[in-house]
Amino acid sequence: MTAAGGTSPGVADLRREEVVLPGVPSLGRLYARGAAASGRLVLARRFGRGPVDLPEVAYVVAGVQADAAHLTAYQHLLGETASDVLPAGFVHVLAFPVATAVMARPDFPLPLAGLVHLANEITQHVPLRLGQAVDVRAWAQGLAAHRTGTTVELVTEVRLAGPARELREGPVAWRGVSTYLAKGTHLVRGGAGDDGGAGVADGVEGTGGADGRSGSGSGARPAFVAPVPTARWELDAGTGRRYAAVSGDRNPIHLSAVSAKALGFPRAIAHGMDTAARALATVGAERGDAFTWSVEFAKPVLLPGSVAVRVAADDGPGGGWTYAGWHPRSGKVHLTGSVRPL
Amino acid sequence: MAATGSPAPTPRTDASPRRALVLGGNRIPFARAGGKYVRASNQDMLTAALDGLVARYGLQGERVGEVAAGAVLKHSRDFNLTRESVLGSALSNETPAFDLQQACATGLETVVLLANKIRLGQIESGIAGGVDSTSDAPIAVSDRLRRVLLDLSRAKSPQQKLAALARLRPGDLAPSVPRTSEPRTGLSMGEHQALTTAEWGITREAQDEIALLSHQRLAAAWDAGFFDDLVTPYRGLTRDANLRADTSLEKLATLKPTFGLTLDTPATMTAGNSTPLTDGASTVLLGSQEWADAHDLTPLASVVDAETAAVDFVHGVDGLLTAGVFAAPRLLARHGLTLDDMDYVEIHEAFAATVAVTLGAWESDEFCRTRLGLDGPLGKVDRSRVNVHGSSLAAGHPFAATGGRIVATVSKELARRKAANGDDRPVRALISVCAAGGIGVTAILEAA
Repeated sequence: MTAAGGTSPGVADLRREEVVLPGVPSLGRLYARGAAASGRLVLARRFGRGPVDLPEVAYVVAGVQADAAHLTAYQHLLGETASDVLPAGFVHVLAFPVATAVMARPDFPLPLAGLVHLANEITQHVPLRLGQAVDVRAWAQGLAAHRTGTTVELVTEVRLAGPARELREGPVAWRGVSTYLAKGTHLVRGGAGDDGGAGVADGVEGTGGADGRSGSGSGARPAFVAPVPTARWELDAGTGRRYAAVSGDRNPIHLSAVSAKALGFPRAIAHGMDTAARALATVGAERGDAFTWSVEFAKPVLLPGSVAVRVAADDGPGGGWTYAGWHPRSGKVHLTGSVRPL
Repeated sequence: MAATGSPAPTPRTDASPRRALVLGGNRIPFARAGGKYVRASNQDMLTAALDGLVARYGLQGERVGEVAAGAVLKHSRDFNLTRESVLGSALSNETPAFDLQQACATGLETVVLLANKIRLGQIESGIAGGVDSTSDAPIAVSDRLRRVLLDLSRAKSPQQKLAALARLRPGDLAPSVPRTSEPRTGLSMGEHQALTTAEWGITREAQDEIALLSHQRLAAAWDAGFFDDLVTPYRGLTRDANLRADTSLEKLATLKPTFGLTLDTPATMTAGNSTPLTDGASTVLLGSQEWADAHDLTPLASVVDAETAAVDFVHGVDGLLTAGVFAAPRLLARHGLTLDDMDYVEIHEAFAATVAVTLGAWESDEFCRTRLGLDGPLGKVDRSRVNVHGSSLAAGHPFAATGGRIVATVSKELARRKAANGDDRPVRALISVCAAGGIGVTAILEAA
């Protein structure tokens, strides 16, 4: 059987063992399980053991449906029109716990606790609407060396559930690739002196004075020059808690200064996908039904805080829109990305 | 100078539809926020302005065709603000009314709408107006408290009521005050203008000069008695409270910049060259020639036409307050007119820089070619024709009341000039009012 979606990985997909979950798992429980697994992993590494390859599995959940109240809360928070079309970032919220379940497995080679979200690319092939049931399929791929550790891609595919509910029946409607970095874990040797551009992984240590951007030394990425802003986000101390409420992602680094401090951050930080989704909402209805929405995260946004933002049409060959968010005074970049119609 | 490539003037056809005439106007002096009108509501002030108009033109008990007015900052109880004001005024209670809201362009849009109704013969007379209070601004409860209260009102059993109340957190009790920032960008109007000001390189000195001129001209108009038949005192205020007749470039230069502080360019916008928060109300009396004759009123000006534009500031294409720059050339072209045909140009002084950018854009060959699709500059307007009796920087800017202030002021000036000319030469004014949401309304008035 072949998947009709143009971006489906085909052969590689088939060699994965399929694990069908009864429903979308809770992120809170996955984090707890992942934290325990991370502890064991750190211990095993110390003795030169522990998994070094990605598990050859794909997790599948069938018949996932959005809840209207949940959708409305998400749309209101992120500045989206409360239409019946699911925003691309909302589908991420809906489906991503399935990918997290892969990362929480005992045989996942990177510690879930402390993973840094470097980049995200979502392709919305066809709009998904409230009331439509979807099948979610997620796996990990692309373990790669990074100058400070190892990166991995978590791929999530969402298909419209067929009338007979056969899995993987329809074409891919939505596909997300989330790139994470495990700092200090070096599983893949050599080759990756420059690491595919994700560049700044300041998620953990880089929140202090020294900026990883200038310290990267690779020189592959041009320094960020703050453009003329078109908007400004005033993000109060509750920003992380509000996004946690609509995303289910209650990672302590987002919730409060106290819980973030316990994990090494001076204050709580904004969810990356919160900021990227705000930029997508600002592009607005002009983005159309089918588009690729990508983001690269640099320095985390400390809460409370202001972000200077530019969202503007891209006159280059790529078309669509590009966006950037940066610290209004220091000019240090928080995120950059684009929205390109298909 | 003539704008190159402008279509040759074509004869106007007044046969149909008929003319809509500005017959007069009345406002209350504008107060600074927290000043003399601190306890006055929008309805109070609009009613005061209406009653002043009624008294001035002998409209007691009159059934006027329609009253249209609005406010930008409205309480939820003010869903029928204008009709309630009419019911409280000396007009006949059989005078219909409706509310309109188009941010700071509300006042001018009410004039345009009623003028259109008169031109179409739907009404014979109308009163356009606007009011705003920043002192008596609505404060709402937080969204979370509001949801709890709404759920509480729907709850049937005591258990349901308790469950709703149990969701309340102390933080939910903090009130939600109206914001002046654009909902889609989070930038205040001043910050948006600061971006445009920097883009056009408008200097601090140029802005302060516009502010100074505004104060000097408004003071001169008050001193000359120009506003004696346009303003009714209210709550002890007999002149616009924001007016600083004795201000100077030196004094304006001492003020610290308040907007654009995080840009790469020097911050140039201060409290002196930006409009302050203000309370006030204004009205404009409109009518057909027949209605004017029947009421023994001398028309001041006719509302020739109007054009509204909007810009995409969300994606940084154009500045938030630049839509009037786009609307005016479309309006002029429709009538085969140029800026040179305008004896007066009234540009609402949201900020001094708004005026400078608007005039600069019309003078810019590149901008007019690339953004306005013209063959060359729209034209240069000498400052002696711009905001001749001062504008919002000096008078203040109670959002929805500004359009009515400008229309009444310039209509009287048009009539005065026409009489002074003593001939049939047309005397015209172009009005441009920018508004939130990237909207700009323009209109042409001609001495009657």
